[in-house]
Amino acid sequence: MDGTYDEIISDNPFFIELKNGYANLFQHCISESWIICVPRIGSLNTRVFTVEDFCAHILVPSDELPETHYSTITEKQVTVSNKVITLEVTKGLPLQSHILFEETFYTEDFIKYKVWCIETPLEPANLVGDNTITKEYLTSINDCIDLLWTQAAGRQVLDQIEHSVQQFLKKHPTLPVAIGPLRDTVSELYTQCLQITLQNRRLRDKSKSCKQVLENIKLAVECYMQHLLFDYLFKPICTCCAYEDAHLNKKIRNMCDIQLRDLEIKKELYHAVPRAKQILSKIDSYNTVLEKVLCLKQALNAINKADGSVNATLLTADDLLPVFVFLIIKSGLPNWYSQLTYMKEFRYSSVGKGDVDESAFLITTLEAVIEHIQSGALTGPPDPEAYYYESNLTEDNLNNSRQRKNSLTESISTTDTSGREETLEYIFELIKANHCEQIEAILQKNQKHLQSLHQNDNNILKITLDDYLSNDDEDDDSDTEIYHKLCHPLCNCKKCKCKLSRRLLKNSPTVTSRDSHGLTALHVASIHGKATIVESLIEMGAAVNATDLNECTPLHYASSRGHQNALLLLLHSNANINQINIDQNTPLHMAVNNGHMNCVKALIYFAEHSRKKIKINCTNESGKTPLHLAAKWGYEGIAKLLIENGAEPSLQDKNNKTSFDYAHNLRILQVLKSCTPNLYEYIHITSNDVKSLNCKFENPVKLKLQKLGKSNDVNNAIKTVENLKLIDRILKAISYGDIKLACFYMGIDFTAYANNEIDNNELCHPLCECQYCKKKTDLYLSDININLFDSNGVTALHYGARYGQDELCRILILNKANVNCCNKKGQTPLHLAALNNKTVVIRLLLDHGANINAIDLLGNTPLHDASEMGNIGATKILLNYNPDITMLNGAEKTALGIAKAKVHLTIIDLIDKYANKQ
Amino acid sequence: MSSAAGGTHHLKVVLLGEGCVGKTSLLMRYIEDKFNDKHLTTLQATFLNKRLNINGKRINLSIWDTAGQEKFHALGPIYYRNSNGAILVYDITDEDSFGKVKNWVKELKKMLGSDILLAIAGNKIDLEHERTVVLEEAESYASTVGAKHYYTSAKLNQGVEELFLDITRDMVDRLEQNAQVKETRTSQVLVIDDETPVQTSCCSGARHN
Repeated sequence: MDGTYDEIISDNPFFIELKNGYANLFQHCISESWIICVPRIGSLNTRVFTVEDFCAHILVPSDELPETHYSTITEKQVTVSNKVITLEVTKGLPLQSHILFEETFYTEDFIKYKVWCIETPLEPANLVGDNTITKEYLTSINDCIDLLWTQAAGRQVLDQIEHSVQQFLKKHPTLPVAIGPLRDTVSELYTQCLQITLQNRRLRDKSKSCKQVLENIKLAVECYMQHLLFDYLFKPICTCCAYEDAHLNKKIRNMCDIQLRDLEIKKELYHAVPRAKQILSKIDSYNTVLEKVLCLKQALNAINKADGSVNATLLTADDLLPVFVFLIIKSGLPNWYSQLTYMKEFRYSSVGKGDVDESAFLITTLEAVIEHIQSGALTGPPDPEAYYYESNLTEDNLNNSRQRKNSLTESISTTDTSGREETLEYIFELIKANHCEQIEAILQKNQKHLQSLHQNDNNILKITLDDYLSNDDEDDDSDTEIYHKLCHPLCNCKKCKCKLSRRLLKNSPTVTSRDSHGLTALHVASIHGKATIVESLIEMGAAVNATDLNECTPLHYASSRGHQNALLLLLHSNANINQINIDQNTPLHMAVNNGHMNCVKALIYFAEHSRKKIKINCTNESGKTPLHLAAKWGYEGIAKLLIENGAEPSLQDKNNKTSFDYAHNLRILQVLKSCTPNLYEYIHITSNDVKSLNCKFENPVKLKLQKLGKSNDVNNAIKTVENLKLIDRILKAISYGDIKLACFYMGIDFTAYANNEIDNNELCHPLCECQYCKKKTDLYLSDININLFDSNGVTALHYGARYGQDELCRILILNKANVNCCNKKGQTPLHLAALNNKTVVIRLLLDHGANINAIDLLGNTPLHDASEMGNIGATKILLNYNPDITMLNGAEKTALGIAKAKVHLTIIDLIDKYANKQ
Repeated sequence: MSSAAGGTHHLKVVLLGEGCVGKTSLLMRYIEDKFNDKHLTTLQATFLNKRLNINGKRINLSIWDTAGQEKFHALGPIYYRNSNGAILVYDITDEDSFGKVKNWVKELKKMLGSDILLAIAGNKIDLEHERTVVLEEAESYASTVGAKHYYTSAKLNQGVEELFLDITRDMVDRLEQNAQVKETRTSQVLVIDDETPVQTSCCSGARHN
């Protein structure tokens, strides 16, 4: 799998001939430890070798540079660098040949000699071998397909594999959700595919002639099978690994603030990390084990290449593992364990070689890293504040001000009783060590002192009182400001001295003082989850909703660190449960993201009991709700809890992805789906609009009035808001697949359609007015504008097309819905149906006048979309309606181009056929 | 782990030992004369494949270097499972590193039993004058646990090749023995199988022990 060439040297005719026919020369080579070059099998014509041929392939190391410079026995100069042999030729370009591998031989009496297997002979005259590509390394799925295609001279083998994969999928509509059976089932398929492949005469002959070809074919078959099967295979794998993944994600999320130096990573490697991270993050986009392992290797190489200096220091496992740990933590991939399992268990082609090749090593490294993270040996940055201080200390000005402060402290003589300086840092240290009483004592003392000083201020300096008060409110931490307010920087007058001493006392910590990152004592206590200290701090009047520089409240920290007790204390002291931080994350987001079930429960139940409304569907900066996070990281329990409490899985984030899209395993998906029916009950029971909706329907008079009032501007504005709400409800109903409810919202009588399903659009004659026909025409006139759209320009028909609700689409079209309306991305319903492979809807839309060549804002036609997604059914139907296949999208690609880029063979084929037909 | 596909033995050896005892140096020294490549970037210092041909037997030797730091100790099992051999390296000037070797031996014996071939290597013999690990003690310990003992110096290139060559030959011997035993065992079991199935489990169980 590591793509190295292999052949049995002792079977090579060149070597045999040398050993048997020219034993003297051979023995001489061995005793002198000269290097013997053996051209790979097949690169030489099978003719009689002469002594000159052998002499030209024996390298004698030069005296000065025995490592890189050699001469052959025929006195030609040879240099070796980077596994390439260069032979100086008298005429023309120097001859080059790759060293394929080196084999160290030991004779019976343990004399060592080396043999290099080389790609081409070191003699110009001999350059006439059959040029089969025995040496080819497979590095991607495209290589694999190329190999199977070219070696079999046609795509019949590929087709056969595809066919057996389809058969397999038909036979196993649901794959087993346990790794062992899953591996065995797929293994059967692999064996079957391999048998099919080797039935091909060309492939069989070629693989017989060379072992390397056979290895490559095996690998290619495995890759192509994985490529076809991946979408069906990976979800079950994720499901098997759901628990481990969630567990790992929780560990990773809680460490996501980790810094390179927390892991003791060598400084020389720092700058390689971004590149390696970028490479490794692509691992998710590869479908085959081969490509995934290669991705690992590339990441490793990227780290290795970091120290490109001349005196390259060696990268040992001790250096490498921490970097990998860091990469995995920062990668943001939610299913590392599944990826690992996939690579570990579904590598069939290398079974014969044992578990010892380079790929096995890479996979083992990944496993070791994951194990290391999971073992909890890493605790992450337990004290982010320590990190802050350290960075502060490097700032010169801070040191300066501290020195100045120290000198002034002596002159003013504060009541500094304890030997140690009572700075805020000291308090934070105490909090970490859980010395509740000591903290209380210091803080209270300082508080009193400050108060007394306040009174002094009032007596002595009434004039500047206002100044101070205003100063009090601002929490300015910069020392410079106060110095600006003095008469002159070194002034010693009473007024100034007082100002300074007040300033200094402010630096001696109270419950309200903050460090340079805006952390109060309460923040720190919440970070460390010291419930008793939190309690006493709150009693002393600490601000519960104080925010630090990231606009995080103590509640944010308590929930992100999973400290339930501290969290509940804060909540009971009226902490704002929906407070957002700088990334617009609520405490609920933090708790969910870090997988702290206890905190999520605490937040939700507290909100329930105290009748505060927790915004369960609130979005953060990237538009994600807590449910998005729970689905992404695979926290099943939390997802369940959120859904039970009204979280909405079909909300889209800023990437237009719902929670369903993020759910990478079936168990989460099941949780999301199973709870949906409860959910919309919840929605319309709690919704305030229920009443108005009811009257709208029951009271036609009011409806008519509303219609009449359309000209009125105010009424119009209300109308639009109401419309938006209405369309929201309609779309939701459609996404749940509840057509009845959707029709109800739109004022369409669903039963009327349901009853006469087939023969309903035939009137007696176009203008017939008989009762039967009249009833029918009436049906098609709904009271509500059928083409209502929401803020993204999405109409009901869009949704129906997307979810493949053909019945609904039919009803909508009969109600004169616009089949070619565009959403904000310029997509028509046909685009969405093509994207989601909803064949019935596609046909329906096209039959009712949808534009087959409609383009969205990216220039994609529905055909582009279908081939992008590899939707075979959709492509077939679209091609039946004469699309223009020459159209280019924004990226200047035709549909065929996209299919080729994505390697959807069947689609390439379909489009090709269509093009030929034209 | 042990396979002879196409007449080639694929063997895996792990290097274990405390940090700074010179595991990686040993490895690098062993491959140093493999390719005169100065570009170490193309070589992984943590994984090495070497093809050997000892007396006509083809061997594909994979050498895995492991992390020596204490914090990675728990990852050992992931690395050494499926290994045919383990080379336990200590620094002759560092008593602690020898203690660590003893721990490794204990762990390996517990986890893998006698499936794995052990070799103990005292590295840095160029620093003989600073030796703290008593020579006799090390050798007698090695013989009690059934491991061979070697002296190496990665710096002076002493004993490195011998170490790897020796353990490779031992592993090949072990592998071939096992293969034979397996063959004879299966044939014996088959014979018994025909007679009384009840006794089979009994007998084969006894044999396993």
